[in-house]
Parts: sequence; structure tokens; C-alpha cells
Amino acid sequence: MAGVAKKDVVLQVDNLKKAYGPVTIVENFSMRVHAGEAVALTGRNGAGKSTVLRCLVGADRPDEGTVTVNGTKVTETNPEIRRAVATVIDDLDFFPDLSVVEHLDLLARAHGLHEPDALVDEVLEEVQLVPQAGQLPSTLSSGQRRRLALATAFVRPRQLLVLDEPEQRLDVEGVAWLGERLKAELDGGLAIVLASHEPALLQAIGARELRLEGAR
Amino acid sequence: MTDERLTDVGVVDEKQLKLLMRDWRRGRADRNLWQALSDGYVMVFSIVVIGAMLVSSILQAQETAAVCDTDGCVAARGLLPWASVAGVLAFTLVVSRLFGPVAASAAEGFWLMDGPTDRRRILAGRLFGAIGAAGALGAAAGALIAALTGSGPVEIGIWALAGGLGAAGLIAFAAAEQGLDRHWIVTGVQWLIGAAAIGTMVLLVSGAAGWMDLGRLTLLAVELALIIAGVGLLLVVAAGFLAYRRLRNIKRQRLTSGGSLISGLQGAAFALEFALIRDILVEAKARQRGHVRPTRGLGHGTTALVMRDVQRLWRQPLPLVTLVATIVVPYAVQALGLAMLNPPISALVLLAALVPFMNSLRVLTRTKGLQRCFPFDPGQLRTAAMIVPAVLALLWTVGAFPAFLGVAGGVTTDPVSAASAALVTGVAGLLGAVRWVSAKPADYSGPIVSTGVGAMPPGLMFSLLRGIDMVALITLPIVFNWPAWISLIIALIAFSLLRSGIDRDSLMDQQAEQKRMLEEERARRSGAPAAGKQKIQVQRKR
Repeated sequence: MAGVAKKDVVLQVDNLKKAYGPVTIVENFSMRVHAGEAVALTGRNGAGKSTVLRCLVGADRPDEGTVTVNGTKVTETNPEIRRAVATVIDDLDFFPDLSVVEHLDLLARAHGLHEPDALVDEVLEEVQLVPQAGQLPSTLSSGQRRRLALATAFVRPRQLLVLDEPEQRLDVEGVAWLGERLKAELDGGLAIVLASHEPALLQAIGARELRLEGAR
Repeated sequence: MTDERLTDVGVVDEKQLKLLMRDWRRGRADRNLWQALSDGYVMVFSIVVIGAMLVSSILQAQETAAVCDTDGCVAARGLLPWASVAGVLAFTLVVSRLFGPVAASAAEGFWLMDGPTDRRRILAGRLFGAIGAAGALGAAAGALIAALTGSGPVEIGIWALAGGLGAAGLIAFAAAEQGLDRHWIVTGVQWLIGAAAIGTMVLLVSGAAGWMDLGRLTLLAVELALIIAGVGLLLVVAAGFLAYRRLRNIKRQRLTSGGSLISGLQGAAFALEFALIRDILVEAKARQRGHVRPTRGLGHGTTALVMRDVQRLWRQPLPLVTLVATIVVPYAVQALGLAMLNPPISALVLLAALVPFMNSLRVLTRTKGLQRCFPFDPGQLRTAAMIVPAVLALLWTVGAFPAFLGVAGGVTTDPVSAASAALVTGVAGLLGAVRWVSAKPADYSGPIVSTGVGAMPPGLMFSLLRGIDMVALITLPIVFNWPAWISLIIALIAFSLLRSGIDRDSLMDQQAEQKRMLEEERARRSGAPAAGKQKIQVQRKR
């Protein structure tokens, strides 16, 4: 999270438009997210929250408008963007033959951490996956897979965190933990954009809310 | 029981239940088999044409092999059917362990197995069907192998019997063990037969190369294969009876896990998505294993990915054993006198042997979610995931080099030509495997082509050739006796394309982006606003 001072603009979205065929999901959407700030996209199902998030991380290409992170235009394959943005959206996949702890170790090392053991252990404990450390992903429950997905975001350097309904499949304790963790991340200068249906979570992190109205 | 209507429920008749299910399934069909075949006349015609081409190729190969009288050819004719049929039998056991061999769908497990039904009456048809199918497929494989090695009609018949009855007997045996929920004996037999297949192949090559005297082994009477058929028949009867008796003992979970696997594989097979079929099998195996002893990674950056692939070799050494065993193939093909076809045939075998080492590449290319977590561009990621398979392919090439020299019999060539052929084979196998693993599936969201068998995306048929196309492109110059550098240049171009992962979607995206930038530039020059007013759609502070 180093290198970005609080109040610096981390994410800037200008006039974003995304349509699928004749249906416009989102149009003229603009926002700025500063370091240490959380923005929550809310709205009913199909309002375009996930579509916007996918455009923010480069998973979908917007029809119009620009998205920049730290002044660099977002393209999904740009290593600079990949280094800065940690993402937990629905398309996360796992290596079938690597255990839970090995996933975290590999990601931390890939991001340049030389001795990641302590951090990996800490995150593993936080997401309550210590007993499952040696399990292969296909044997995890949906909630445990969600926790592993969240852990992949916390085990690596990041300046912007993009989360799509992170509370999904988490129990009450899990949601409470997530709120505390995200608050701590904000205090450390991280910028967060999330889509959520969980008011308690948004309240816990004091997120600025942007309500999307949906397709036309 | 609180509801009086449920007190008198009668006795279940399994036969009626099965008939009812058949009626539901067939009663909803809107055409019969003949009508479906008539609709799909293009497909039927294609199958007939391709079948005729295959038969013609087999006959040609048979004629070539039959007239070859070098030591290598004689040894191959004598021992290759033994090795191949043993391989077919080992494969039969692998498949039977994977699916059951007796399996039931998840729906049957939920609706029928939970009720007061007699599982034996429901599952008996499955058992006999599995035994029959294994018999038919084993017989076809046995006959094909015998034909390819230049055997006469009687020998072909004997090998068909050995392959068919052997496979059917082993399925019956595996089903009998399934009824006891016991695995280790079937696993042991599978390894034993597999080791016999590899051992025979090694013997064949050693004999053909003149490294050892096979004595009368090469003249092993083909009639001895009838022993395999006899044992198979005995197993069909005895183990089949035991399996039938034990059908009631098979646990529901064991039945439905095989059924779910089959339905998943069927879905992938209809889309000709063979890489997806492998994904499903890998997931099933991982679920079965469940847990591993975690190991600490090594290095950082892309090195961490490479070292993780190295650690995978220690964790799962079986693919390594298979890869080493496949080095025998170029020796055997050369010994058979098929020197010109050695690069494509051996490269295809190498392709299959290298795929299990590409789990990283597969996961990193099939969805972008995990790829996005790594701070590298796709080219760097792909290269890192290719390094271990590339090193293994190189070692395989070094090991296969003497085969192309002709030291194991067959055609002998000079060292430069042999080295070129070996190198081209290794590169073709590697790039074929990379393509097989990382190619995009057919795009159902794009234009759909109308065909005799219905609408299909244009890329669907190419899914069949995925990987094979790369092997053909790279090795065909060698087959046509053109210089090896042509193959190597093609390989270089193929590598750069595969490494970058450029596909139709990416190209279209790039094109759209360029068009958009051009329009923005035009708008800027003409003085019109390039973008709309900045506006936050709806914003509310909590």
C-alpha cells in the first residue's frame, strides 16, 4: 500500500458506458476514489454493479469512457494495473492441485515477497482457514472458497481493492470480520470499491454510496 | 405416520419404474433414430468418408509393416500386439475405477436409491451394459492393433477376442470389487498389467535394437493370446455373477459420483471440449485426494511459478513415469519401418504425455480471474508456465534422438537429420500440448453456421483438431522431406502466437479500441467535444 498518500486519487472513472446489445447497463457514470476511501455501489439485482466493477478491473471493456488507476489507463493485461489492483469478483479460479496455503504462498511470492510465511500464516488465521491449509480447493465449502478468494487479496501488495458482494456466503462472524478488516485497510490508505447488499458492512467501513438505477 | 393416506403404499415394482422412466425419456422425443440420422446426413456422410480414409490408411500401414523383414519389424510384429493389448486392458481398469464401473445419475440417486427399491434390479442392466461395451471396444482395439502390425485375418480375430473378452472380464472383476467397496486389488492389477505393457514395449525395442537377444519371444505363438481371452471369459462369468450378487451393496454416493462425472463429461464432449473433459477429471481426482502436505514455495516473481511447477513433479511423479515410458514410442515406430511418420506420431504421443505438466498453464488461460491476480502480462505468465514442460520436452528429445538415428532397427539416418527430426518432434509435441491446453473454446456468442446436424459455431469442428493442427503444421515439412529449418521457422511463429495468447476476441477488441481512438481524434480535430459531460449518475453520502 506504499507509494500513495491519503487523498490522492487512486481510481478515476469518466463517462463510463456499457451496453449489451440494445440494453444499456450503465451510462455517463463517473467517479473518483481517493486513497483511504471506500465507495459502495448499490442497487437492485441487475442494476449494473458487477458490470461496472468488471469494467474497473478491465475484465470487460467499456463502450465509452475511461478508467484510470493512479493515472494509468486500465487494461486487464497491464502488469502495473495488476500490481495495484486486488480483485475479488466472481471469475476467480483456483489451481486444482495446490492447497489453500500454497495458493497464498505462490501469490505472495509472485508479487515479490521474499519471506511471505508470516504474512500468509496471519491471513490464513484471519480468514479462519488454518485447519484447511492443506486442503485442495475442490474440497472446500462455498463459504471457505469465498474466504480463500478474499485471502488472495490480502496476501499481496495493493493500492485499490475491488470487491463484488464480498459478504456473499459468509456467516455473520465472517461479515463482521470483513468489516473490521476493510476498515483497517482504509486506515492504512487503501482505496476500496465494492458492490454490496449488506448495510451493516457498508456502515462498518463508512462507505460512500453510489446507487445504480439499472438497465434501460 | 401422521398422514393416513401414506399408510398403505404397496410394494415397489422396479421393472415398472424403469419402464416408466423409459417412457418419460422416449415419450418426449420428437423424432426417432432414423429421422435423426436422416437430418444429420452430412455428419453420417462425413463419418463414412473419414472411416473409409482410416481403413485405407490402416490397410496401407499393414501392407508396409507386413513386407518389412528387418529384425525390428519382426520383433514389432511379434510383441507389439502383446504390449498394446496389455495397455488397452490397463486403460480399461483405469476407466472402470474412475466411473464405477456401475454408475447412476444424481437424479436416479435422489429419486430411486432413497426409496424402498431393490438396487440390484435397477442396476443389473447397467452392469451388463458396461461389460458388453467394454467387450466391444476392447475387441475393436485388439483387431486394430493386430491389423496395424501386419497380422493376417486369423491373428486379427484372435487379438480381437483377447482384447474384447479381456476388457469385459476386467470390467466384471472391477464391478465385483465395487460391490465390496474395495479398491486396492483393482489398483494392484491395473499397475501389474500396465507394467507388463511397458515392460513388453521395452523388450521389443531392446530386441529390435540388438541390445539383447529375445530368442523365441519374437515367435511367441499368437494362439497364446487365446489364454487372455479364456481368462477374460472366466472373469466375465465368475466375477460377473459375483458383481450381480453384490449390486445391492454398492453405496449410493459411489454410484452417483460416477454418474455425475459421466454427465459432466457428456456435456463437455458434446461441445467437443476435450480440455474441459480433462479439467473435470482433474477436479474429480483432486476431490478424491482432498488433502496434500503443503510445501513452502521457492523464489519470487515468475520464478515462484516455475518452482511451483518443479514442486508439482515431486508431488505427482506418475506423469513423469508416463513421459519416460513414451520415449519408447519413437524407437518402436522406427523399428516398425515407419521412419517418415515417426515425427508426427511421436509428437502426438509427446503431446499427450506433456499435457499433465501444464496444469498451471491451463488454469491461467481458461479464466482471467486468477491470471489477473499475478503482476505479469499474459506473455510472461504463459512463458513461466511453459518452462518446466519445455525442459521435460527437451530431455525427452535427447532421449529419443538415438531412435531417429535408427539404433533400434528400422531405417538408419545420419546424425544431423536424426537430430533435426528429434528436435522437430520435441518442439511439435510441446507446442501441440500448449495449444491443446490453452486454445479458446468455440464461441457460441458469435455467428452460428447452419449445418446438416443443426446450427453450430464455426470454431466447433476446429476444437477436434486442437493441438493436432500444431503437430501437423510443424512436422509435415519433415514428412515431405523438406529441410528441417522450415519446420523450425513454423514452430517459432507458432510459439510467438501461443505465447502472446492472441485470439479472435483480443484482435477484435484491439480493432474496436483503435477505431474508437480514431473517432475521438477526428472529433477533437473537428472541434466537437470528444467525451460527454462529466456527471455522477446518482450519488448519496451515507
